[in-house]
Amino acid sequence: MSLLSVKNLNLSIHGVPILKGLDFEVQPGEVFGIVGESGSGKSMTALAAMGLLPEGAVASGTAHLEGIDLLSTPEAQMCGLRGNRIAMIFQEPMTALNPVKTIGDQVAETLVIHGRASKAEALKIAREKLDRVGLPAARFPLDRYPHELSGGQRQRVVIAQAIALRPQLLIADEPTTALDVTTQAQILKLLKSLVNEEGMALILITHDLAVVSDIADHVAVMKLGEIVETGTTVDIFRNMQHPYTKQLFAASSHVPERVADAKDAPILEVVNAVRTYAMPREKLFRKPPRFKAVNDVSFTLFQGENLGLVGESGCGKSTLTRAILGLDALDSGQIRLFGQSVTPAMPNTLRAGVQVVFQDPYGSFNPRWKVERLVAEPFHLMVEKPADSRARVAEALDSVGMKPADMGKYIHEFSGGQRQRIAIARALILRPDLIVLDEAVSALDVSIRAQILDLLADLSDRLNLSYLFISHDLSVVRAITDRVLVMKAGQIVESGDTEDVFTNPQHAYTRELLAATPRLPDNAVA
Amino acid sequence: MRLPRTLILGGGLFAVFLAAALVSFLWTPFDVEILNIPSKLQKPNAVFWLGSDHLGRDILSMLMVGARTSIAVAIVAVGIGIGLGLPLGLWAAANHGSWLDEVIMRGNDLVFAFPSLVIAILITAVFGPSALNAIIAIGIFNIPVFARISRGAALSIWTLDYILAARVAGKNAVRISVEHILPNIANLLIVQGTIQFSLGILAEAALSYVGLGAQPPTPSWGRMLADSQTMISFAPHLALFPGLAIVFTVLGLNLMGDGLRDILDPKIRRSRR
Amino acid sequence: MLRFASIRLVSLSLSLLAASIVIFAVVEVIPGDPASYMLGMNAQEDTVAALREQLGLEGSIVTRYFTWVTGMLQGDFGTSYTYRVPVSELILARIWISLPLAVYALALSTIIAFPVGLIAAAQRGKATDTGIMAATQLGVAVPNFWFAMFLVVIFAIKLRWFSAGGFPGWDEGFWLSIKSLTLPAIALALPQASILARIMRSSILDTLDQDYIRTARAKGLTRRQAITRHALRNAMIPVLTIIGMQFSFLLAGAIIIENVFFLPGLGRLIFQGITQRDLIVVESVVMLLVFAVITVTFLVDLAYAAVDPRLRRR
Repeated sequence: MSLLSVKNLNLSIHGVPILKGLDFEVQPGEVFGIVGESGSGKSMTALAAMGLLPEGAVASGTAHLEGIDLLSTPEAQMCGLRGNRIAMIFQEPMTALNPVKTIGDQVAETLVIHGRASKAEALKIAREKLDRVGLPAARFPLDRYPHELSGGQRQRVVIAQAIALRPQLLIADEPTTALDVTTQAQILKLLKSLVNEEGMALILITHDLAVVSDIADHVAVMKLGEIVETGTTVDIFRNMQHPYTKQLFAASSHVPERVADAKDAPILEVVNAVRTYAMPREKLFRKPPRFKAVNDVSFTLFQGENLGLVGESGCGKSTLTRAILGLDALDSGQIRLFGQSVTPAMPNTLRAGVQVVFQDPYGSFNPRWKVERLVAEPFHLMVEKPADSRARVAEALDSVGMKPADMGKYIHEFSGGQRQRIAIARALILRPDLIVLDEAVSALDVSIRAQILDLLADLSDRLNLSYLFISHDLSVVRAITDRVLVMKAGQIVESGDTEDVFTNPQHAYTRELLAATPRLPDNAVA
Repeated sequence: MRLPRTLILGGGLFAVFLAAALVSFLWTPFDVEILNIPSKLQKPNAVFWLGSDHLGRDILSMLMVGARTSIAVAIVAVGIGIGLGLPLGLWAAANHGSWLDEVIMRGNDLVFAFPSLVIAILITAVFGPSALNAIIAIGIFNIPVFARISRGAALSIWTLDYILAARVAGKNAVRISVEHILPNIANLLIVQGTIQFSLGILAEAALSYVGLGAQPPTPSWGRMLADSQTMISFAPHLALFPGLAIVFTVLGLNLMGDGLRDILDPKIRRSRR
Repeated sequence: MLRFASIRLVSLSLSLLAASIVIFAVVEVIPGDPASYMLGMNAQEDTVAALREQLGLEGSIVTRYFTWVTGMLQGDFGTSYTYRVPVSELILARIWISLPLAVYALALSTIIAFPVGLIAAAQRGKATDTGIMAATQLGVAVPNFWFAMFLVVIFAIKLRWFSAGGFPGWDEGFWLSIKSLTLPAIALALPQASILARIMRSSILDTLDQDYIRTARAKGLTRRQAITRHALRNAMIPVLTIIGMQFSFLLAGAIIIENVFFLPGLGRLIFQGITQRDLIVVESVVMLLVFAVITVTFLVDLAYAAVDPRLRRR
């Protein structure tokens, strides 16, 4: 018999339909993957099963957990089930824990609230559970507070809370999306081992096909509130039926077509760059220690080249980016653009040679400006605004596949992918030689991401642009760059032609990164 | 877009008093500077709609002129607060983490240690009592309020990518503050401005009540309350109407502030969507 | 925690130092000589000279400032010109009315606001919530001294439950004194309680939107348990700020409301000081008020650290 049996689940929020007739079954002790892009309704499916739907949501249908219909169970009884027989963990570990309570208290609370143990016993069990999720007593005593832990460690605490009562079903909603790739691999491994050893079932909700292909037994693919395809992981990847599944798969492994035509002329030279930050004082009257965010970095970027820079959060790539853009000064070393020195005080004409596209399509634009003014902002670098400014904005918009008529609109009228196109138009408007792409496709759904990568490849061929492509996502870097630098703790640990580095990594850290990256099965057929 | 009920109600209430203040420049039922002892202490009637005080002056006329004082003091005080607090806050945010930021914020903390009454006491002790004192005292207290709120809001905007984009476009901190930060914190300032406006009305009333604000013969609501105090047991209307005037003006402004927040604050708008 | 407290203590001393300089400077800018200003235009030369001597006005600004500050540190606030007694005596006689009144009002305001704000938050959108919000909206708009006048009419003149004003003195019995401070404290507290209840409500609602509340609910906590076990303590952080700021409002309010109830507190002293140009009294009382406000800010900072572990390590 299935552990969880969902039949004809419909959901609307304030009358807007979100889920349409979902049917799926989860067997005891299996990993059930739900994959979909944003807006597919995958998170709402989980919240419906937990009985934690937002206000205004109306659900119909049934979701039986061993005979109990979770949708019709009254709230009082649901409280007895949640955390006890069915548990859930969420995407953002940084905010998932109460900042003013110790981790021990928060894990013990699960046991206390269900009346399974006295406070003292609960703390003892909490200790065992924290050990179980890889937070040993020596380094993580029960009286630690969440702010003393990293994101990955906090996610482990959240998992310990969720498994404290050995629930039959654990729902994990994008549990690793906010984490670095090596941390992601560790958390996924932990979840997998919990499923095997504790005999619980796991519903893993993710946008990442590669993650489900790694660990799920069954997969459901969701699109716009419907399950378009479901089956065993092996079957699905061997023999995709639905066009959307095929499209998703193709987009996930998309490699844009482009011509590698790097010239031998250096555009950007970084020589022994060092940048440090003051850390909090240890003693009141002693000089605060300094942290080397960028530690002796050197590299050269050639004309027409796509250079990748990969590394996990905190490796110093953002600091390096800011120095290259001439926003922050270096402590020592040099950055040269076309042979001229890059500093915060560099002349506007030099500044015009390098432009940037950021990660967040929502925070990249002043919400009170119209697109014309947004795209034209870099004209500030020119001695005077060109007379044909409007025509040039139209041309830039056209080259990224937007309409000149979009000039009169505000940014909130566009989707994430369109905003990223507008951001590229803004970077193109001065016809620079170098564009820094700072996680420029990381926040996008895979199908949109594939389109933007195609656009970037096309632009670099047509306009002979060079890219410095900064990303934590190795598969994207592999798809679009000629050469790659691997950065760790402020230093470049490995560099070389992209294919060489990916097929024959030399440094242990590069190997670790590659091993941690979830991969789509090689024998998959779209 | 449908306007929130609070905004309509609050705006209506405040508009009544604003109109009364404006009309008082052209016309009042009676001249408030002429004493009319024979008709003193009248209950509300057909001639004196809201009654008359112990010197025979018409309460309604005095309320109208008093509205002028209250609103003028509060407006100028808010103006001082925004005029000085906003640039200080923007400046501190633009130099976040530097000694300049630290100095501005510590200066703010220092001013917060002087409630506006205390400032008014100090100024009055030195320069003697006047309505100007009330303006300066309330205005000074408003400076750190606006400095703090604009710094906080500006700081969160400084972390956004469009600020980085503007810096890549070669714009300096002043230009970024004016072009990008200011339009995006204007909503917050409008809402806070309404709140400080209402607090200003209350503070002005309190200061003139204890004799640190507008001086006789200039009518002010607080002064009228102070005069009525000894007669409250046999002429409660003298205390009732100025008090109600204060309550309704402040209530109107607060409701307006709530309504404005509903339509202007993007945080709330987002959660409604 | 100790480290945090000592850092805050240093900043408290610096604030006091800066405040004393500001107050001293303001009194210094008086056009002309403070002594002749105090005595008025027609004062005799030797009277002025005698007062200058008495006020310690001889010597440079810096020495006079240090004489003033070191005197205050030893409890010597100088001698009042009009009363001809040490200012410290005048203050001591009155501070035990104003300060208890402010503390009494703060306690009342907090005791009223907490449950009211909590109930409104728990009943969000329901009739109780709407009613509480409307009542507090009105409460915020009422000037406390006006409210006080009508409290006197109703509870002292009509019902005769309380006396209309005056203060028997703590020697005459604790409860008798408390009783005579009750009407003023209620008048001060209700408007502040309205503000605090609104802050409390919105702070709890903000907290309820946080991710960790969802985590708590996923563990099986009921909505009520999530509020009491997780939302409340986090919601206290902004509420503490407001309580700290309210103390300074209440202290200032106490000074004003003493007028309504004929209480012989600091308010009476300072307003007499102003009309009689007794600058030394004004200066000292203002310094004392500022001292009280800064000290309360310090205590609020300590309370922050007790609530929020993230602050303790800084």
